[in-house]
Formats: sequence, C-alpha cells, structure tokens
Amino acid sequence: MNILVFAEKFTALNELCSGARQIGDRVEAVVIGPVEGQDITGADKIWAIPAQSGAMLEDYTETLAALLSKVEPDIMLVQPTKRCKLIAGRLAAMLGASVITDVMELSKNGDAKRMVYGGAAISTEKAATTTAIVMVGPGVLGGATQSNTSNNEAETFNFIEPKIKLIVIRKEQKPKVFVDLPNAKRVVGVGRGFVKAEDLEIAHQLAEVIGGEVGCSRPIAEGEKWMPKETYIGVSGLMLSPEVYFALGISGQVQHMVGINRSKVVIAINKDKNAPIFKQADYGIVGDLYKIVPALTSKLK
Amino acid sequence: MNIITCFKVVPEEQDITIKPNGELSFENAKMTISNYDLNSIEAGAQLIESISGTLIGLSVGALNIDDSKLKKNVLSRGPESLYLLADDNLVNMDTHQTALALKAAVEKIGDYDLILCGEGSADLYAQQVGAQLGELLNVPTINSISKITASEGKVVVERTLEEEVETIELALPAVVSVTSDINLPRIASMKQILAAGKRPSNIWNINEVNLSKPEKTIEVLESKAPPQVDRKQDIIEGDSEEIIQKFIEKISKELK
Ligand SMILES: Cc1cc2nc3c(=O)[nH]c(=O)nc-3n(C[C@H](O)[C@H](O)[C@H](O)COP(=O)(O)OP(=O)(O)OC[C@H]3O[C@@H](n4cnc5c(N)ncnc54)[C@H](O)[C@@H]3O)c2cc1C
Ligand SMILES: Nc1ncnc2c1ncn2[C@@H]1O[C@H](COP(=O)(O)O)[C@@H](O)[C@H]1O
Repeated sequence: MNILVFAEKFTALNELCSGARQIGDRVEAVVIGPVEGQDITGADKIWAIPAQSGAMLEDYTETLAALLSKVEPDIMLVQPTKRCKLIAGRLAAMLGASVITDVMELSKNGDAKRMVYGGAAISTEKAATTTAIVMVGPGVLGGATQSNTSNNEAETFNFIEPKIKLIVIRKEQKPKVFVDLPNAKRVVGVGRGFVKAEDLEIAHQLAEVIGGEVGCSRPIAEGEKWMPKETYIGVSGLMLSPEVYFALGISGQVQHMVGINRSKVVIAINKDKNAPIFKQADYGIVGDLYKIVPALTSKLK
Repeated sequence: MNIITCFKVVPEEQDITIKPNGELSFENAKMTISNYDLNSIEAGAQLIESISGTLIGLSVGALNIDDSKLKKNVLSRGPESLYLLADDNLVNMDTHQTALALKAAVEKIGDYDLILCGEGSADLYAQQVGAQLGELLNVPTINSISKITASEGKVVVERTLEEEVETIELALPAVVSVTSDINLPRIASMKQILAAGKRPSNIWNINEVNLSKPEKTIEVLESKAPPQVDRKQDIIEGDSEEIIQKFIEKISKELK
C-alpha cells in the first residue's frame, strides 16, 4: 500500500508518517516550503512544493490535486483540522475520490472505523474509489517502530496557481487555553444544568478540592460560550479517560458520553431521575446540583 | 441576494434503538432537521432580514424526507419555499453522492448568490458536503464560518479555526459552511408557523433534475453500536443532609 501524507503542522506530518509506516509499504510526505533540515521519520520521499508568499494553505489545493494524480497513492492520509477538511473535500470533488473523516482506527487493508450518529454506532468503511482520502489524527495510528531518517529522497513539485483566490483581510491568533484535560486524573464536567456563567465557580471549587480539572458539554462552550471551545468533551470534542468523571447537570446524550465512556468511575448529579446519564453512571444522586455540589465540596475538603 | 440553505433530514435521535445484533434500528424514528442545520437556516434568515433577497431551503435524500411536519418546521424558520430532491435512489448516500445530488438540484433551481451549509450532519458529521459542493459548482467555498456580513456582490466572513480567526472576503456566488455557534436558532412564533403552512414546497425526483444515480465512493462494511460499558448504577434520590452524606460515603472511596 502506498500512502501520501499531508498535514497542516510539521509535527503532525511527522507523526502521521511514522503511523503510516505501520500500514503502508511506501510513505511519501508533502511539505510546503524548503525541506532542508526537515527530516521526516518514516517517509521514503518528500514532495516539496515551493512556498508562495501570501498564500493560504487552501491555495495549494490545485497543486495537491495534480500531485495526487501523479503519485496515485492508495491512501492520502490527511490531518483532520478545519483547513484540511476543506482541502480534502475540494480534492475529493476534483478527483471523484472518497473522503473518510475523523477515523479512529485504520487497518492494513484500508478498512477505516469512524463514529456515526454521534457515537451511537461505529461504522467500518472502505473506499470504493482508487484513491481514498482518510483523515486521521496524529496518535491514532501509533508511533514509530522504525526510523529511516535523514536520507529521505526529495523532489520539487511545482506550484499551480489556484483558480479562485480568497482574500484574507485579517488574521488573529486565538488566546491559548491552558487546561490539560486529557492528562487530568479527575475531571468535573459541567452541563446545561447550570443557570449562569458565575455559577460554574462551584464546579471549579469541587475540582480544586479533588485535584481535578473542569470540562463541559458542548452547549456550555458553544451556545452559552461560558467555557472555551477547547474544553468541551464528546464525539466532536475531547475524548477523555480519567479515573473519575463527575457529570454535573449533564443529561448524558450519546455525543457527550462517548467522550467519557473510558472513565474508570462515572459519578452523576442530576435533578431528573430519568436522565440517561444515570444508566451510564457508577454513582448518582438525583437532586439539585446547587445544593449538592457545595455540600460535597465542603465535606470533601 | 438569493440564498439557498442546505439542510439534511435525519432520523430523530431519541427514536433510534439498537437491535439485538448491534445494528441501529430506525424503524420507529420520525424524520427531523439535522441539528446543526438549524444554524445554517437561521444564518440565512438573518441575512435576508439584513439585506433584501430570497431564502430557500434545499434537501436531498430518500422519499421519506418529504414529510409535511418537517417541511412546516423548516418553513417556519424563514425560507419562503423549499426544494426537496426526494428519491429512493438517494438513500444512505455518502458525502460525495450527496454533493452530486445537491449540485444537480442547485443547477435546476438556477439562480443563487450564496449557498449555506451547516457544520456537519447529525448522522455522518463528515463536515464534507459544503466543501465538495462548492468545488463541484466551481465557486469559492469556505468552512468554519462564525460570522457573515453581506454587501453588494460579496460577503465578508469570519472563520474560526483551531488556533486563529481569519476575516475573509468572498466574491459571490459562493458556498459557505457555518459553525454551530454562529447564532441561536429562533423558536418560531405562532404566526410564523401559520405562515409556513402557506409556503410552497417543490418535490423532484432524480429524472427531473437530470441526475443519474450517483456511484458510491465509500462502502460501509458494518455499522454497529459499540459495546456498552458496565456501570454500577448505584443511584440515590434526594438532596437532604443525610442523603448527601450517604452519597459522599459511597463516592469517597473512589476519591482516595
Ligand atoms: C453532530 C453533533 C455533535 C455533538 N457533539 C457533542 C459533543 O462532542 N459533546 C457534547 O457534550 N455534546 C455534543 N452534542 C450535543 C449533544 O447532543 C447534547 O445536546 C449535549 O451534550 C447536551 O448537553 P447538556 O447535557 O449540558 O444539556 P441538556 O441535555 O440540556 O441537559 C441538562 C441537564 O441538567 C439537568 N439539570 C437542570 N437543572 C439542574 C439542577 N439544578 N441540578 C441538577 N441537574 C439539573 C437536567 O435534568 C438535564 O438532564 C452534539 C450534537 C450533535 C448534533
Ligand atoms: N442530504 C443532504 N441534503 C441537504 N444538505 C445536506 C445533506 N447532507 C449534508 N448536507 C449539508 O452539508 C452539511 C455537512 O454535512 P456532512 O458533510 O454530512 O457533515 C450539513 O450540515 C448540511 O448543511
């Protein structure tokens, strides 16, 4: 199996190439800009596209399409970022290829597993086209087993002018979020059971007492915007496996639960005894979180 | 400005059950608007309120997407009419097939300045159809848009990515995929619901849009519910002092 790897970030490219080695016989990587000093573990060859001044990553889509037609890999592995999802979609439309996004497992014969229906089912999919575009996060395929660094072959592939250029008027860095939820042993998850942003303080106090971090359900980050988007847990957010997960005012819909299913212990506080969360919890208490959470915090101190 | 907003019709999540063999059963599922397409419909409605123009809704799928309650629901949210390409040749499509079907319908509709798509469909959540449709139509396409400002012949959009926010100018016509937090979808008023009943829907089959059944690009080999995690389900009721104390006793050994 021949694999061509494309990523937005160099570290991701490197990781994906190492991972690609586990399933592919030949791995080639696409690099935009100079390749000197950019040793890529696991890649047999680097395709270097000259960087264009002022170009967005999306402006390389036509070039990538031409490269794909030339290399004809069995799989093009792409990092699942927002930019890459746009590029992958356009490539698929140009070449009549298939795109399998957010893959959680990829086997040697190209079978890909991904979640559908918010995680209610896992489907195993295979491309019916000659080239498959598979979007998979670095880390999913595992690390390097062997390295053949520093002597990858490199070839320049000429840039092709995009037919449509978008005009970027402004670009701003988003503020960095400093919560390390994936490595937290204990996580307190907050949901729409909270009435206003200030009330989240009681969740932070509980987290502090038990030595954990605070995450949330998607509506708390998106609809309410009370917490950064980077902190929501679930199928489209963080997938966690802490020792203890507290669900405060979270109903327990599948899209959220797939993000915490691998927790060792799940503890739920919800005022609705029929909330689905209780079927998926080890311990639960049916009652008002505004009474229970502060009481818990003061007793656990 | 003429806007087409694309919405997917999906089985209602609460009605989906798991069969003994692990497959999902949709037998008793009502059809509903894919959750995050409420945001793209709302984005279209707000644009039309800010500048004049028309908003129409478009969906493609099997015959069961033609559902009177569903049509009324969509129409109460702003679109003045609906176009449904409803044909049993279009059942369970992958994103490529969907984009091809949407393209055929859009070309039959004819005139448009802006096509809106949602962040991702509730069933596949592939985040692909918008990008593929834009490319197939040969117009600019962009995703992850959290704000749209329209003026004559162009739109200025704000694009929220993982680490940065871009402001981009797009020439029209264009296909724009919006985020699920671009707005809060409206709750239709009684008046809007009544008005919706009078708005027209156009139902087509594939022949009427000159589409031959699109080839699959993805083979689904299996689709099964993951095994359930066994949980103790030790649940107590009440928030009195004693009950909370009892609860703490239960959980404190897990917090050692
Ligand atoms: C494509 C797609 C992807 C999605 N991805 C994600 C995802 O990754 N992560 C995610 O979280 N969601 C995701 N969602 C959304 C998901 O479907 C649910 O809407 C969401 O998880 C619900 O959040 P919630 O439990 O906080 O809110 P709700 O469902 O509104 O639940 C609030 C709960 O709080 C309880 N409550 C209210 N007041 C109190 C009180 N005083 N004390 C105690 N309990 C109280 C209520 O009984 C209720 O159970 C996705 C949806 C779609 C369509
Ligand atoms: N069958 C469909 N009919 C109309 N629009 C669709 C359909 N499928 C997907 N879309 C649109 O494309 C977006 C992305 O879908 P997906 O690529 O499946 O995640 C959705 O939010 C819809 O706006």
